[in-house]
Amino acid sequence: MAKSTSQKIKVGIFVVVGTILLIGALYSIGKRQHIFSKTTQVYAVFGNVNGLQIGNNVRYSGINVGTVSKIEMTEVGKITIQMSVEEKTASFIKKDAIASIGSDGLVGSMVVNIIPGKNKQAVRIATGDTIQSYSKIGADDMLSTLNTTNENAALLTSDLLKITNQILEGKGTLGALINDTILAQDIRQIMIELRKTSEGTGLAVSRINRIISKINYDESAAAVILSDTVTANQIRNVFENLEKSSEDINEVTKNLNEYLTEIKSGKGALNYITQDETFVKNVDSTMLQIKEASEKLNQNMEALKHNFFFRGYFRKLERQERRAAKAK
Amino acid sequence: MKKENQKPVLELKDIHKSFGKNHVLKGFSLKLHEGENLVIMGKSGSGKSVMVKCIVGLIQPDSGSITIKDQNIITMGQKELDFLRTEIGYLFQGSALYDSMTVRENLEFPLRRHKDKIENFQGTDEAVKAALESVGLLHTLDLMPSELSGGMQRRVALARALILKPKIIMYDEPTTGLDPITANEIIQLMRNIQIEYNTSSLIITHDVDCARVISNRIILLVDGINYAEGTYEELSNSSDPQTRAFFKN
Amino acid sequence: MSRSTSFLDRSKSFFAEIGDMTLFAGRFFRELFSTPFEFKELIRQCYNMGIRSLFLVMVTGFILGLVFTLQSRPTLADLGAEAWMPSMISISIVREIGPVIIALICAGRIGSGIGAELGSMRVTEQIDAMEVSGTNPFKYLVVTRILAVTLMLPLLVIVGDAVALIGSAIIENLKGDVSYTLYFNKIFDALSFSDLLPATVKTVFFGFAIGLVGTYKGYNCAKGTVGVGEASNSAVVYTSMLLFIIDFIAVFVSDIFFEI
Repeated sequence: MAKSTSQKIKVGIFVVVGTILLIGALYSIGKRQHIFSKTTQVYAVFGNVNGLQIGNNVRYSGINVGTVSKIEMTEVGKITIQMSVEEKTASFIKKDAIASIGSDGLVGSMVVNIIPGKNKQAVRIATGDTIQSYSKIGADDMLSTLNTTNENAALLTSDLLKITNQILEGKGTLGALINDTILAQDIRQIMIELRKTSEGTGLAVSRINRIISKINYDESAAAVILSDTVTANQIRNVFENLEKSSEDINEVTKNLNEYLTEIKSGKGALNYITQDETFVKNVDSTMLQIKEASEKLNQNMEALKHNFFFRGYFRKLERQERRAAKAK
Repeated sequence: MKKENQKPVLELKDIHKSFGKNHVLKGFSLKLHEGENLVIMGKSGSGKSVMVKCIVGLIQPDSGSITIKDQNIITMGQKELDFLRTEIGYLFQGSALYDSMTVRENLEFPLRRHKDKIENFQGTDEAVKAALESVGLLHTLDLMPSELSGGMQRRVALARALILKPKIIMYDEPTTGLDPITANEIIQLMRNIQIEYNTSSLIITHDVDCARVISNRIILLVDGINYAEGTYEELSNSSDPQTRAFFKN
Repeated sequence: MSRSTSFLDRSKSFFAEIGDMTLFAGRFFRELFSTPFEFKELIRQCYNMGIRSLFLVMVTGFILGLVFTLQSRPTLADLGAEAWMPSMISISIVREIGPVIIALICAGRIGSGIGAELGSMRVTEQIDAMEVSGTNPFKYLVVTRILAVTLMLPLLVIVGDAVALIGSAIIENLKGDVSYTLYFNKIFDALSFSDLLPATVKTVFFGFAIGLVGTYKGYNCAKGTVGVGEASNSAVVYTSMLLFIIDFIAVFVSDIFFEI
């Protein structure tokens, strides 16, 4: 039963060495997760990898398909990354796929995203292939772009400020339109009145409805009206309301009339064209002048015919006309 | 003289045992005959305890043979050894009662596996009570060992050694750490038990009084070998100064 | 325990001890599968180790959950990720912190207890007495104890985990106004079989390590009271070291099989 010390030492060394080997084996297996599954090595070249590390995930259409296995700077500004992609999914990745580097969540680690290409007939990737890469704008680039955008926005707003100031001062057609206060007030008035009317009407209609439903519910409408003072009162109310509504409508039409007369009387922008007499007169005189001018032109033409230099030309024209008439 | 012709119940031949560089036993031999009280005397650290532990198989000797009832215990398997051990009662130096168990459980413990070994077994309870009775401590049945005095513990341990009715009892320093009166009680008890149970005893001690009262024969163990052998009278009147030195009080 | 200063001697005794412990473990398995089996003693030890450690484990677990939640809250609150509290806490407690902390507590309580008990039994020759009375003390003392810890520790860890999660729920309820129902729903959402199984299997090995080192140290205790102290002390130290090594290996293994 009892073992000698040298035997114990041998067993002890065996156990220690065995444990170290076990840990080593487990470590190497754990490090290369996909040691058992076949992988395809694919490459992509980037200008900036934004802190990508070996072991970061590679995603294809959002699925984890492998890991980054090597990152090497091959030239200045050219970094080649090697990705180990599982054989299972590698068959779906075509040669025109595009790799880009993104981050996994707000504070997460970096990932390589592979996006499928557009060409459906493309051949699947094989070990050693280099796929296209697309560098998203880095944070610095993004900031500088934002800066110019901001500057432009500042210019734009200052311009806008100028325009709005001018409008406020009533310069230009738009300004005139906007600044016509009376017109705006009138329109507002109309709207208010219309609303009042519709409210009144609505109330009246609902009351009528109520009464009608009550009348329907009871057997005899006339009897109810005769016997029930409440209903009678309600009906009186209805009529009062109706009267009020019609009054309201009257007011609206009156206002509309007023508005129309105002338009006729030449206030506001719209009636500028319709109500300006001088404009019409001007147009008339223009027409007269055009008429006079054309009469004078006619006279000039007649004079030309009789002119020595142009006589031959006009005769020739007459002859041609005569020949044409004969031919007919 | 008659005993010399009988077959010994226990025989040790040329036992060697060393711990590292410390050579403790250097060819020790002894024969224990039936009904005999053999006392082994020796200085502390002379290897007495190692020798008894070799006998019960707690320690494997480096060489030599140990025979109990014609069976060599060194070459024996665990099961047979366990069975043979029921033939040997062992009283430990510090009593070695199981301090997590009551006195009753302490006495029941050896019976757990070996009830069938005892002839006309009356039941565990009866056996426990009988053994306690023979050491005069029946009233301590349900006490814990820590509640007993040193002498009582020694007696309970003796009861436990007796419970399987062994043929040989080994006493490892039975009187150490006890006052002379209690020690005397224990010695008397040992004599009574030997008569009652008809056992052979192997007693390790450096207590001369004990040796004088109980011994039929004494072996002096010096430097790992049998230095001298004889009755108390023979040895205490020995001409050898080193032998005589043991018996000076 | 010779205190030799030479490196060779020390490394020799180091390897010898590991080898001896391995043989001890081998003997455990041999004796485990041979009759007779000390069933009553096993139950007694299970009670001793399981029930008597329960209170300690529960208190430790409760405080663990409380403190862990209190400490993690501000960080997650800074990130505005308080909603992740239940899943983060539950996964880290169930997977790693619960098993390791509770195993260490049990190494302190059970491991040193076994070391001291068997050590003093060895010193006062009680183990010899058992052997002499024809009972195999290895079977009676060692096998039952190792088996008892191996069986009890996973249960203790599960109870400890549960209490830790209750403690964490109380803090969340007080500080974050999260209802207990919501909290536990989120916990059970976050936990999966692959979190619980490797952690539980791990605790079986933890229990075995605690039992093995404790019994080994006690069973092979040097003579004298110094030996007993050393046995119980080194039982705790060795067990703690062994626990971390086992944890280390367990993490690797579960990484391969469950792909954390």
